[in-house]
Amino acid sequence: MPFAPQLYSAALRMTRNPTDAEDVLQEALLKAFRGYHTYESGTNLKAWLYRILTNTFINKYRERSRRPSEVELGELEDLYLFKRLGGEESTGGATRSAEEEALEGFVDEDIKGALESLPENFRMPVLLADVEGFSYKEIAEIMDVPIGTVMSRLHRGRKALQRALWRLAEERGIPA
Amino acid sequence: MNCHEAHEQMYGYLDRESGVVRRLRVRWHLYRCPPCGKGFSFEYALRLRVRQGCRDELPEELSHRLRALLREQTDGQG
Repeated sequence: MPFAPQLYSAALRMTRNPTDAEDVLQEALLKAFRGYHTYESGTNLKAWLYRILTNTFINKYRERSRRPSEVELGELEDLYLFKRLGGEESTGGATRSAEEEALEGFVDEDIKGALESLPENFRMPVLLADVEGFSYKEIAEIMDVPIGTVMSRLHRGRKALQRALWRLAEERGIPA
Repeated sequence: MNCHEAHEQMYGYLDRESGVVRRLRVRWHLYRCPPCGKGFSFEYALRLRVRQGCRDELPEELSHRLRALLREQTDGQG
């Protein structure tokens, strides 16, 4: 089962709990297995699998949550986290800057929690781009939305992710 | 290209989605403007941290269950 661990991680970020993630993954793998004849060989297998996973998740859970489709994130500035970690004031020179080292102050659970705190519309593109490495075009196909929508949600989602991380850092006193 | 324009291009650049000419113009700006270079470098490091922080192990039990399920499907087809 190539991609199964990766698909499971993605399902966890989508559903935000292990039980639902297992259900989504299982259903998606069955669909992929049964629909394998619809996969065109030579095309991107990983993107095909993520499209099935994403559709399975959306069909199963979107009804349940019924959030307004466009949640307002507010306007966030560029380099949100960088500026707050003091990136603009620090002087360079070292191979790794202080603010990049501050990133090591976050544990994996912080990162997962921050990503999972984003509304679904913004969480999905950030997950697909930054964690899974898909291109804008692939994400547009996986989510079945126009590329322009992918880009705007991705950009806003990334800033919101930075704000979520900054809130954690403030609570925790990073960088200390 | 000034700092403002460079920031507008940042995600396209880091995502490797911008065309060659634009990439070169951004790169030239980063070369000449260390503060922007640091900002871009931080964004890139953050992305790696996010990617690294979002990997979960597939539970052994689940892995077995999925394998059995898919095997059933194959057997069903004869």
